Amino acid sequence: MQCKELEAVLEQEGLAPLPPAARAHLAECSACQDFLADLTALQSLAQELPAEANPPERLWVSLRAQLTAEGIIRESVELPAGTPWWQSFTAWLRPRTLATAGAGIVLLVTAVFLSRNPIPLPVARISNPPVTSPVAAPVVPPAENSSLTPRPSPTEEAMANGGVVLNQAELDVPNMQLAGNATVDASLRDNLRTVNEFIAECQQHLKQHPGDLLAREYLESAYQQKAELLAAMMDSGGSEH
Amino acid sequence: MCASNVMPGTTLGGIRRIRKDSSAAIAQLARQRPTEPVAWNEAEAIRRAQAGDAAAFEFLYQMHSRRVYALCLRMVSNPADAEDLAQEAFLQLFRKIGTFRGESAFSTWLHRMTVNVVLMRLRKKSLPTDSLEETIDPDAENSGPKRDVGAADLRLSGAVDRVNLERSIEKLPPGYKTVFVLHDVQGFEHNEIANIMGCSVGNSKSQLHKARTRLRELLQEEVRDQARQERQAAKSQTGSLD
Repeated sequence: MQCKELEAVLEQEGLAPLPPAARAHLAECSACQDFLADLTALQSLAQELPAEANPPERLWVSLRAQLTAEGIIRESVELPAGTPWWQSFTAWLRPRTLATAGAGIVLLVTAVFLSRNPIPLPVARISNPPVTSPVAAPVVPPAENSSLTPRPSPTEEAMANGGVVLNQAELDVPNMQLAGNATVDASLRDNLRTVNEFIAECQQHLKQHPGDLLAREYLESAYQQKAELLAAMMDSGGSEH
Repeated sequence: MCASNVMPGTTLGGIRRIRKDSSAAIAQLARQRPTEPVAWNEAEAIRRAQAGDAAAFEFLYQMHSRRVYALCLRMVSNPADAEDLAQEAFLQLFRKIGTFRGESAFSTWLHRMTVNVVLMRLRKKSLPTDSLEETIDPDAENSGPKRDVGAADLRLSGAVDRVNLERSIEKLPPGYKTVFVLHDVQGFEHNEIANIMGCSVGNSKSQLHKARTRLRELLQEEVRDQARQERQAAKSQTGSLD
Protein backbone atom coordinates (compact mmCIF):
# COMPACT_ATOMS: atom_id res chain seq x y z
CA MET A 1 0.00 0.00 0.00
CA GLN A 2 1.12 3.53 -0.81
CA CYS A 3 0.51 6.79 1.06
CA LYS A 4 -2.25 7.83 -1.35
CA GLU A 5 -4.02 4.55 -0.86
CA LEU A 6 -3.84 4.94 2.89
CA GLU A 7 -5.40 8.37 2.59
CA ALA A 8 -8.21 6.93 0.49
CA VAL A 9 -8.82 4.35 3.20
CA LEU A 10 -8.90 7.06 5.85
CA GLU A 11 -11.32 9.07 3.75
CA GLN A 12 -13.80 6.24 3.33
CA GLU A 13 -13.33 4.24 6.50
CA GLY A 14 -12.43 6.84 9.06
CA LEU A 15 -9.62 6.71 11.58
CA ALA A 16 -10.17 3.29 13.03
CA PRO A 17 -10.08 0.41 12.78
CA LEU A 18 -7.72 0.27 9.83
CA PRO A 19 -7.37 -2.77 7.59
CA PRO A 20 -4.17 -4.87 7.88
CA ALA A 21 -2.64 -3.49 4.69
CA ALA A 22 -3.03 0.07 5.96
CA ARG A 23 -1.52 -0.86 9.31
CA ALA A 24 1.40 -2.45 7.53
CA HIS A 25 2.04 0.75 5.57
CA LEU A 26 1.77 2.86 8.69
CA ALA A 27 4.41 0.77 10.41
CA GLU A 28 6.88 1.77 7.71
CA CYS A 29 5.88 5.38 6.86
CA SER A 30 6.64 8.07 9.42
CA ALA A 31 4.83 10.79 7.40
CA CYS A 32 1.61 8.79 7.43
CA GLN A 33 2.13 8.04 11.10
CA ASP A 34 2.32 11.79 11.80
CA PHE A 35 -0.70 12.43 9.61
CA LEU A 36 -2.80 9.84 11.39
CA ALA A 37 -1.58 10.97 14.81
CA ASP A 38 -2.57 14.55 14.02
CA LEU A 39 -6.03 13.59 12.79
CA THR A 40 -6.57 11.46 15.87
CA ALA A 41 -5.41 14.30 18.13
CA LEU A 42 -7.75 16.68 16.33
CA GLN A 43 -10.68 14.36 16.79
CA SER A 44 -9.96 13.93 20.50
CA LEU A 45 -9.59 17.65 21.01
CA ALA A 46 -12.80 18.38 19.11
CA GLN A 47 -14.71 15.94 21.30
CA GLU A 48 -13.72 18.04 24.30
CA LEU A 49 -15.34 21.14 22.84
CA PRO A 50 -18.76 21.90 24.32
CA ALA A 51 -21.57 20.54 22.18
CA GLU A 52 -24.12 22.74 23.91
CA ALA A 53 -24.41 26.42 24.70
CA ASN A 54 -27.13 28.18 26.62
CA PRO A 55 -29.06 30.56 24.40
CA PRO A 56 -30.20 33.84 25.98
CA GLU A 57 -33.56 33.62 27.75
CA ARG A 58 -35.02 36.22 25.44
CA LEU A 59 -34.77 33.78 22.55
CA TRP A 60 -37.69 31.72 23.84
CA VAL A 61 -39.64 34.86 24.80
CA SER A 62 -39.25 36.21 21.31
CA LEU A 63 -39.92 32.86 19.68
CA ARG A 64 -43.03 32.31 21.74
CA ALA A 65 -44.34 35.78 20.94
CA GLN A 66 -43.86 35.07 17.26
CA LEU A 67 -45.52 31.66 17.46
CA THR A 68 -48.42 33.12 19.39
CA ALA A 69 -48.81 35.95 16.93
CA GLU A 70 -48.97 33.40 14.13
CA GLY A 71 -51.55 31.38 16.03
CA ILE A 72 -49.34 28.29 16.12
CA ILE A 73 -49.39 27.77 19.86
CA ARG A 74 -52.08 28.19 22.48
CA GLU A 75 -52.19 27.91 26.22
CA SER A 76 -53.91 24.57 26.65
CA VAL A 77 -55.33 21.99 24.31
CA GLU A 78 -57.06 19.71 26.76
CA LEU A 79 -59.53 20.21 29.53
CA PRO A 80 -58.56 18.51 32.74
CA ALA A 81 -60.31 15.25 33.49
CA GLY A 82 -63.54 15.61 35.43
CA THR A 83 -64.36 19.06 34.12
CA PRO A 84 -68.12 19.74 34.14
CA TRP A 85 -69.70 19.48 30.71
CA TRP A 86 -70.79 23.09 30.62
CA GLN A 87 -67.20 24.25 30.95
CA SER A 88 -66.44 22.70 27.60
CA PHE A 89 -68.22 25.70 26.05
CA THR A 90 -65.53 27.97 27.43
CA ALA A 91 -62.96 25.86 25.62
CA TRP A 92 -64.53 27.05 22.39
CA LEU A 93 -63.66 30.57 23.37
CA ARG A 94 -60.05 29.82 24.18
CA PRO A 95 -58.63 30.08 20.69
CA ARG A 96 -57.72 33.67 20.17
CA THR A 97 -59.51 34.04 16.88
CA LEU A 98 -62.79 32.82 18.29
CA ALA A 99 -62.49 35.03 21.34
CA THR A 100 -61.72 38.05 19.18
CA ALA A 101 -64.51 37.22 16.77
CA GLY A 102 -66.89 36.76 19.69
CA ALA A 103 -65.97 40.12 21.16
CA GLY A 104 -66.38 41.70 17.74
CA ILE A 105 -69.84 40.18 17.28
CA VAL A 106 -70.92 41.35 20.72
CA LEU A 107 -69.72 44.87 19.94
CA LEU A 108 -71.43 44.82 16.55
CA VAL A 109 -74.73 43.62 17.96
CA THR A 110 -74.51 46.21 20.71
CA ALA A 111 -73.80 48.97 18.23
CA VAL A 112 -76.78 47.96 16.11
CA PHE A 113 -78.96 47.76 19.19
CA LEU A 114 -77.83 51.19 20.36
CA SER A 115 -78.37 52.75 16.98
CA ARG A 116 -81.98 51.56 17.02
CA ASN A 117 -82.65 52.06 20.73
CA PRO A 118 -80.48 54.93 21.92
CA ILE A 119 -80.08 55.01 25.68
CA PRO A 120 -80.39 58.48 27.19
CA LEU A 121 -77.20 59.68 28.80
CA PRO A 122 -76.20 60.24 31.48
CA VAL A 123 -77.58 57.11 33.08
CA ALA A 124 -76.18 57.71 36.50
CA ARG A 125 -73.75 60.07 38.14
CA ILE A 126 -70.95 59.11 40.37
CA SER A 127 -71.61 62.09 42.56
CA ASN A 128 -75.28 61.14 42.79
CA PRO A 129 -75.54 57.42 43.10
CA PRO A 130 -78.82 55.86 42.01
CA VAL A 131 -81.36 55.89 44.73
CA THR A 132 -83.58 52.87 44.73
CA SER A 133 -85.12 52.79 41.31
CA PRO A 134 -84.01 49.76 39.36
CA VAL A 135 -84.70 51.70 36.18
CA ALA A 136 -82.08 54.31 36.86
CA ALA A 137 -79.14 52.15 35.86
CA PRO A 138 -80.42 48.86 34.59
CA VAL A 139 -77.44 47.72 32.57
CA VAL A 140 -74.40 48.90 34.43
CA PRO A 141 -73.08 46.50 37.05
CA PRO A 142 -73.06 47.97 40.52
CA ALA A 143 -69.40 47.29 40.98
CA GLU A 144 -68.58 49.59 38.09
CA ASN A 145 -70.72 52.64 38.73
CA SER A 146 -71.34 52.67 42.42
CA SER A 147 -69.41 55.06 44.54
CA LEU A 148 -69.55 52.47 47.29
CA THR A 149 -67.27 50.10 45.45
CA PRO A 150 -63.89 49.72 47.12
CA ARG A 151 -62.24 48.58 43.90
CA PRO A 152 -59.76 51.10 42.45
CA SER A 153 -60.23 52.19 38.86
CA PRO A 154 -57.82 50.97 36.17
CA THR A 155 -56.27 54.40 36.10
CA GLU A 156 -55.73 54.41 39.82
CA GLU A 157 -54.23 50.98 39.57
CA ALA A 158 -51.94 52.11 36.77
CA MET A 159 -50.86 55.14 38.73
CA ALA A 160 -50.27 53.03 41.80
CA ASN A 161 -48.14 50.69 39.72
CA GLY A 162 -46.09 53.51 38.35
CA GLY A 163 -47.90 53.66 35.02
CA VAL A 164 -48.55 56.76 32.99
CA VAL A 165 -51.97 58.28 32.46
CA LEU A 166 -52.15 59.08 28.80
CA ASN A 167 -54.65 61.94 28.80
CA GLN A 168 -57.82 63.27 30.34
CA ALA A 169 -59.79 60.56 28.59
CA GLU A 170 -58.35 57.94 30.87
CA LEU A 171 -59.40 59.87 33.94
CA ASP A 172 -62.96 59.99 32.60
CA VAL A 173 -63.21 56.31 31.78
CA PRO A 174 -64.26 55.07 35.22
CA ASN A 175 -67.16 57.50 35.15
CA MET A 176 -68.37 56.61 31.71
CA GLN A 177 -70.98 54.27 30.49
CA LEU A 178 -69.34 52.73 27.50
CA ALA A 179 -71.24 50.49 25.15
CA GLY A 180 -74.39 50.41 27.23
CA ASN A 181 -74.02 46.69 27.76
CA ALA A 182 -72.79 45.44 31.07
CA THR A 183 -70.77 42.61 29.60
CA VAL A 184 -69.05 44.75 27.01
CA ASP A 185 -68.42 47.53 29.49
CA ALA A 186 -66.88 45.09 31.89
CA SER A 187 -64.79 43.59 29.10
CA LEU A 188 -63.48 46.99 27.98
CA ARG A 189 -62.62 47.98 31.53
CA ASP A 190 -61.06 44.61 32.13
CA ASN A 191 -58.90 45.04 29.06
CA LEU A 192 -57.82 48.46 30.19
CA ARG A 193 -56.89 47.01 33.55
CA THR A 194 -55.02 44.24 31.78
CA VAL A 195 -53.03 46.69 29.70
CA ASN A 196 -52.26 48.76 32.76
CA GLU A 197 -51.05 45.72 34.63
CA PHE A 198 -48.91 44.74 31.67
CA ILE A 199 -47.42 48.22 31.50
CA ALA A 200 -46.63 48.06 35.20
CA GLU A 201 -44.99 44.66 34.76
CA CYS A 202 -42.90 45.93 31.87
CA GLN A 203 -41.82 48.96 33.87
CA GLN A 204 -40.91 46.84 36.83
CA HIS A 205 -38.94 44.51 34.58
CA LEU A 206 -37.17 47.44 32.94
CA LYS A 207 -36.19 48.81 36.32
CA GLN A 208 -34.41 45.56 37.01
CA HIS A 209 -33.13 45.07 33.44
CA PRO A 210 -32.85 48.50 31.80
CA GLY A 211 -31.11 47.04 28.77
CA ASP A 212 -33.86 44.59 27.82
CA LEU A 213 -34.89 45.86 24.41
CA LEU A 214 -37.66 43.32 24.06
CA ALA A 215 -39.37 44.56 27.23
CA ARG A 216 -38.99 48.11 26.00
CA GLU A 217 -40.68 47.21 22.74
CA TYR A 218 -43.48 45.52 24.64
CA LEU A 219 -43.92 48.60 26.77
CA GLU A 220 -44.15 50.91 23.78
CA SER A 221 -46.66 48.63 22.11
CA ALA A 222 -48.69 48.40 25.30
CA TYR A 223 -48.92 52.17 25.50
CA GLN A 224 -50.01 52.25 21.89
CA GLN A 225 -52.68 49.67 22.60
CA LYS A 226 -53.80 51.58 25.64
CA ALA A 227 -54.21 54.72 23.57
CA GLU A 228 -56.24 52.86 20.98
CA LEU A 229 -58.34 51.19 23.65
CA LEU A 230 -59.08 54.55 25.25
CA ALA A 231 -59.99 55.97 21.88
CA ALA A 232 -62.37 53.06 21.30
CA MET A 233 -63.89 53.61 24.74
CA MET A 234 -64.39 57.30 24.06
CA ASP A 235 -65.99 56.53 20.73
CA SER A 236 -68.43 54.08 22.18
CA GLY A 237 -69.17 55.79 25.45
CA GLY A 238 -70.33 59.05 26.89
CA SER A 239 -69.40 61.01 29.94
CA GLU A 240 -71.59 60.69 32.94
CA HIS A 241 -70.53 64.05 34.30
CA MET B 1 -34.61 39.60 15.02
CA CYS B 2 -36.35 42.68 16.09
CA ALA B 3 -38.88 42.35 13.33
CA SER B 4 -40.09 39.14 14.87
CA ASN B 5 -40.63 40.84 18.20
CA VAL B 6 -43.35 43.10 16.90
CA MET B 7 -46.36 42.96 19.13
CA PRO B 8 -49.51 41.36 17.88
CA GLY B 9 -52.48 43.42 16.74
CA THR B 10 -54.27 45.94 18.86
CA THR B 11 -57.58 44.16 19.13
CA LEU B 12 -59.22 43.29 22.39
CA GLY B 13 -58.06 39.77 21.80
CA GLY B 14 -54.60 41.10 21.14
CA ILE B 15 -54.51 42.73 24.51
CA ARG B 16 -55.44 39.50 26.20
CA ARG B 17 -52.79 37.78 24.16
CA ILE B 18 -50.10 40.12 25.39
CA ARG B 19 -51.24 39.66 28.94
CA LYS B 20 -51.20 35.92 28.83
CA ASP B 21 -48.11 35.30 26.78
CA SER B 22 -45.55 38.04 26.52
CA SER B 23 -46.28 39.54 29.88
CA ALA B 24 -46.07 36.21 31.59
CA ALA B 25 -42.83 35.49 29.80
CA ILE B 26 -41.36 38.81 30.82
CA ALA B 27 -42.44 38.28 34.38
CA GLN B 28 -40.75 34.92 34.26
CA LEU B 29 -37.64 36.56 32.95
CA ALA B 30 -37.70 39.07 35.76
CA ARG B 31 -37.99 36.36 38.35
CA GLN B 32 -35.49 34.11 36.59
CA ARG B 33 -37.67 31.22 37.59
CA PRO B 34 -36.45 27.86 36.33
CA THR B 35 -38.79 25.99 34.04
CA GLU B 36 -40.90 23.50 35.86
CA PRO B 37 -40.07 19.98 34.77
CA VAL B 38 -42.69 18.23 32.68
CA ALA B 39 -42.89 14.48 32.75
CA TRP B 40 -43.22 13.89 29.02
CA ASN B 41 -41.09 12.00 26.61
CA GLU B 42 -40.22 13.54 23.27
CA ALA B 43 -42.89 11.64 21.33
CA GLU B 44 -45.61 12.80 23.71
CA ALA B 45 -44.35 16.38 23.52
CA ILE B 46 -44.35 16.25 19.71
CA ARG B 47 -47.91 14.92 19.69
CA ARG B 48 -49.03 17.68 22.00
CA ALA B 49 -47.14 20.33 20.04
CA GLN B 50 -48.88 19.15 16.88
CA ALA B 51 -52.12 19.98 18.67
CA GLY B 52 -50.79 23.44 19.51
CA ASP B 53 -49.97 22.93 23.19
CA ALA B 54 -47.79 25.82 24.31
CA ALA B 55 -46.15 23.82 27.09
CA ALA B 56 -45.14 21.11 24.63
CA PHE B 57 -43.46 23.67 22.38
CA GLU B 58 -41.53 24.98 25.32
CA PHE B 59 -40.57 21.45 26.35
CA LEU B 60 -39.20 20.72 22.87
CA TYR B 61 -37.43 24.04 22.78
CA GLN B 62 -35.80 23.47 26.17
CA MET B 63 -34.80 19.98 25.10
CA HIS B 64 -32.99 20.99 21.91
CA SER B 65 -32.21 24.69 22.06
CA ARG B 66 -28.76 24.34 23.62
CA ARG B 67 -27.46 22.09 20.86
CA VAL B 68 -29.09 24.10 18.10
CA TYR B 69 -27.76 27.36 19.49
CA ALA B 70 -24.28 25.84 19.92
CA LEU B 71 -24.30 24.67 16.31
CA CYS B 72 -25.38 28.10 15.07
CA LEU B 73 -22.81 29.79 17.26
CA ARG B 74 -20.01 27.62 15.96
CA MET B 75 -21.10 28.12 12.38
CA VAL B 76 -21.30 31.92 12.45
CA SER B 77 -19.13 32.79 15.49
CA ASN B 78 -21.38 35.68 16.38
CA PRO B 79 -23.87 35.44 19.25
CA ALA B 80 -26.38 37.86 17.74
CA ASP B 81 -26.40 36.04 14.40
CA ALA B 82 -26.51 32.68 16.15
CA GLU B 83 -29.53 33.78 18.14
CA ASP B 84 -31.23 34.96 15.01
CA LEU B 85 -30.50 31.71 13.19
CA ALA B 86 -31.61 29.53 16.07
CA GLN B 87 -34.88 31.41 16.26
CA GLU B 88 -35.41 31.02 12.53
CA ALA B 89 -34.68 27.30 12.73
CA PHE B 90 -37.16 26.77 15.57
CA LEU B 91 -39.74 28.89 13.84
CA GLN B 92 -39.50 26.77 10.73
CA LEU B 93 -39.63 23.63 12.83
CA PHE B 94 -42.69 24.65 14.78
CA ARG B 95 -44.47 25.92 11.70
CA LYS B 96 -44.03 22.52 10.10
CA ILE B 97 -44.38 20.34 13.16
CA GLY B 98 -47.79 19.18 12.00
CA THR B 99 -46.11 17.46 9.07
CA PHE B 100 -43.61 15.54 11.21
CA ARG B 101 -44.38 11.84 10.84
CA GLY B 102 -41.36 10.41 12.62
CA GLU B 103 -39.58 8.95 9.58
CA SER B 104 -36.36 10.36 10.96
CA ALA B 105 -35.41 11.33 14.49
CA PHE B 106 -36.84 14.64 15.61
CA SER B 107 -33.35 15.86 16.44
CA THR B 108 -32.15 15.03 12.93
CA TRP B 109 -35.11 16.86 11.44
CA LEU B 110 -34.42 19.91 13.60
CA HIS B 111 -30.71 19.90 12.77
CA ARG B 112 -31.47 19.61 9.07
CA MET B 113 -33.56 22.76 9.29
CA THR B 114 -30.87 24.48 11.32
CA VAL B 115 -28.13 23.57 8.86
CA ASN B 116 -30.29 24.73 5.95
CA VAL B 117 -31.02 28.02 7.65
CA VAL B 118 -27.35 28.58 8.48
CA LEU B 119 -26.00 27.64 5.08
CA MET B 120 -28.64 29.73 3.36
CA ARG B 121 -27.59 32.72 5.44
CA LEU B 122 -23.92 32.09 4.74
CA ARG B 123 -24.59 31.82 1.03
CA LYS B 124 -26.31 35.19 1.10
CA LYS B 125 -23.48 36.75 3.06
CA SER B 126 -20.61 35.02 1.27
CA LEU B 127 -17.84 37.10 -0.19
CA PRO B 128 -17.07 36.67 -3.88
CA THR B 129 -13.55 35.51 -3.05
CA ASP B 130 -14.86 32.74 -0.81
CA SER B 131 -16.08 29.94 -2.98
CA LEU B 132 -18.63 28.09 -0.91
CA GLU B 133 -19.80 25.80 -3.65
CA GLU B 134 -16.77 23.62 -3.57
CA THR B 135 -17.21 22.96 0.09
CA ILE B 136 -20.98 23.02 0.50
CA ASP B 137 -21.68 20.77 -2.42
CA PRO B 138 -20.77 17.31 -1.21
CA ASP B 139 -20.54 16.00 -4.74
CA ALA B 140 -17.93 18.48 -5.81
CA GLU B 141 -14.92 16.64 -7.18
CA ASN B 142 -11.32 17.59 -6.79
CA SER B 143 -12.21 19.85 -3.93
CA GLY B 144 -10.53 19.95 -0.61
CA PRO B 145 -7.07 20.26 0.73
CA LYS B 146 -4.22 18.37 -0.86
CA ARG B 147 -1.69 16.68 1.33
CA ASP B 148 1.81 16.35 0.08
CA VAL B 149 1.89 12.66 0.54
CA GLY B 150 5.08 11.50 2.15
CA ALA B 151 6.29 15.04 2.86
CA ALA B 152 7.52 15.93 6.32
CA ASP B 153 4.76 17.66 8.28
CA LEU B 154 4.77 19.67 11.44
CA ARG B 155 3.52 17.32 14.10
CA LEU B 156 0.55 18.84 15.87
CA SER B 157 0.18 16.50 18.79
CA GLY B 158 0.75 18.44 21.97
CA ALA B 159 1.23 21.73 20.12
CA VAL B 160 -2.39 22.78 19.88
CA ASP B 161 -5.05 23.46 22.44
CA ARG B 162 -8.74 24.16 22.36
CA VAL B 163 -8.23 27.86 21.68
CA ASN B 164 -6.16 27.10 18.58
CA LEU B 165 -8.73 24.60 17.49
CA GLU B 166 -11.69 26.95 17.98
CA ARG B 167 -9.90 29.64 15.97
CA SER B 168 -9.09 27.24 13.17
CA ILE B 169 -12.63 25.84 13.04
CA GLU B 170 -13.83 29.39 12.48
CA LYS B 171 -11.68 29.56 9.37
CA LEU B 172 -13.05 26.38 7.84
CA PRO B 173 -15.32 26.75 4.82
CA PRO B 174 -18.99 26.29 5.77
CA GLY B 175 -19.48 22.84 4.26
CA TYR B 176 -16.45 21.37 6.00
CA LYS B 177 -17.31 23.17 9.20
CA THR B 178 -20.83 21.78 9.23
CA VAL B 179 -19.75 18.17 8.88
CA PHE B 180 -16.86 18.54 11.30
CA VAL B 181 -18.98 20.17 14.00
CA LEU B 182 -21.83 17.72 13.56
CA HIS B 183 -19.55 14.66 13.73
CA ASP B 184 -16.57 15.50 15.88
CA VAL B 185 -18.12 18.08 18.22
CA GLN B 186 -21.81 17.18 18.41
CA GLY B 187 -21.35 13.44 17.98
CA PHE B 188 -23.71 12.68 15.10
CA GLU B 189 -23.13 9.51 13.11
CA HIS B 190 -22.47 9.62 9.39
CA ASN B 191 -25.90 8.27 8.50
CA GLU B 192 -27.50 11.06 10.55
CA ILE B 193 -25.25 13.67 8.96
CA ALA B 194 -26.14 12.31 5.52
CA ASN B 195 -29.78 12.79 6.45
CA ILE B 196 -29.15 16.29 7.79
CA MET B 197 -27.01 17.41 4.86
CA GLY B 198 -28.97 15.59 2.18
CA CYS B 199 -25.99 13.61 0.92
CA SER B 200 -24.74 10.04 0.97
CA VAL B 201 -22.92 8.45 3.88
CA GLY B 202 -19.81 8.19 1.70
CA ASN B 203 -19.94 11.90 0.99
CA SER B 204 -20.28 12.64 4.66
CA LYS B 205 -17.18 10.58 5.42
CA SER B 206 -15.26 12.18 2.60
CA GLN B 207 -16.23 15.69 3.70
CA LEU B 208 -15.21 14.94 7.25
CA HIS B 209 -11.82 13.67 6.18
CA LYS B 210 -11.24 16.75 4.04
CA ALA B 211 -12.38 18.97 6.90
CA ARG B 212 -9.93 17.36 9.30
CA THR B 213 -7.11 17.60 6.76
CA ARG B 214 -7.88 21.28 6.13
CA LEU B 215 -8.07 21.89 9.84
CA ARG B 216 -4.71 20.29 10.29
CA GLU B 217 -3.24 22.67 7.71
CA LEU B 218 -4.81 25.66 9.42
CA LEU B 219 -3.46 24.56 12.77
CA GLN B 220 0.00 23.99 11.33
CA GLU B 221 -0.07 27.52 9.94
CA GLU B 222 -1.15 28.79 13.32
CA VAL B 223 1.60 26.90 15.13
CA ARG B 224 4.18 28.18 12.62
CA ASP B 225 2.90 31.74 13.07
CA GLN B 226 3.16 31.44 16.81
CA ALA B 227 6.70 30.05 16.55
CA ARG B 228 7.67 32.88 14.20
CA GLN B 229 6.27 35.51 16.54
CA GLU B 230 8.10 33.97 19.47
CA ARG B 231 11.37 34.00 17.51
CA GLN B 232 10.87 37.63 16.54
CA ALA B 233 10.07 38.56 20.11
CA ALA B 234 13.18 36.74 21.33
CA LYS B 235 15.31 38.41 18.65
CA SER B 236 14.07 41.89 19.48
CA GLN B 237 14.71 41.20 23.15
CA THR B 238 18.26 40.10 22.34
CA GLY B 239 18.74 43.21 20.17
CA SER B 240 17.62 45.51 22.93
CA LEU B 241 20.01 43.81 25.35
CA ASP B 242 22.92 44.33 22.93
